[in-house]
Amino acid sequence: MPVSDATAGGEIGPDTRRQVNRGFGRVLVVVYAVFAVAATARSGIQIATKFEQAPVAYLLSAFAAVVYIVATIALARGDRTSRKVATVAIVIELVGVLAIGTASLLLPDQFPAASVWSRFGLGYGLIPLLLPFVGLWWLRRTR
Amino acid sequence: MTGIYATALIVLALTLAGWAVVLLIVNRPPGAALIGAAAVLELVLVGFAVGGIVQMLGTDREFARAEFVGYLLACVAIVPAAVWWMKDEKTRAASGVLAVVFVVVPILVVRVQQVWAGAGV
Repeated sequence: MPVSDATAGGEIGPDTRRQVNRGFGRVLVVVYAVFAVAATARSGIQIATKFEQAPVAYLLSAFAAVVYIVATIALARGDRTSRKVATVAIVIELVGVLAIGTASLLLPDQFPAASVWSRFGLGYGLIPLLLPFVGLWWLRRTR
Repeated sequence: MTGIYATALIVLALTLAGWAVVLLIVNRPPGAALIGAAAVLELVLVGFAVGGIVQMLGTDREFARAEFVGYLLACVAIVPAAVWWMKDEKTRAASGVLAVVFVVVPILVVRVQQVWAGAGV
């Protein structure tokens, strides 16, 4: 009886401020979704039409697209498992944008074509650089 | 693909973005008026997409047709998707969702124009 009470107590009237996909989380998911669609479409066209011109940049674009897709779905679902998936995806996103951003500035010859993360996402208003920080902050805040 | 229609579309989207931001600031979810205005924007976007595809079919000029159609489809899909995604949200975050999307619409329209003018990915 105490066990079921405790379970019920946890289920009834969840604090919406602690739900990943509520409140600000709704807005965050939209921004992630826009990047997921943009990166997927862009890398898909790049790989389909001119892969040989800059294979590294285009494969990185595709990788970024997958990371954004996973983060978008995980943040939108917002259950316990999804939180973990979202955290991993966003940490990869953070490492990716920092690594690719740095590499694209140090080795510009390797990045003849823009990818989402090259130059820290300057082509997208630096939002790709800010997004993982915001995402991790939000996951922490709703913990 | 340039011209008065696209310009009016951008102005309309930015106006709605400003409206949504005001609602966000005063801590209100979007009301029926903004949803109705979003529906008007959607009609204008459908007209933009149809007009774009008709113009595309009417020319033999070389440009990135797949991207062009892709951006036009995104133009048509984004507003209904946002309204669907925010419909259960009763807080000002729903206004935030619309604000983001109303800012993305002009970016999509400008990209459509760039692809039409011959810019690549």
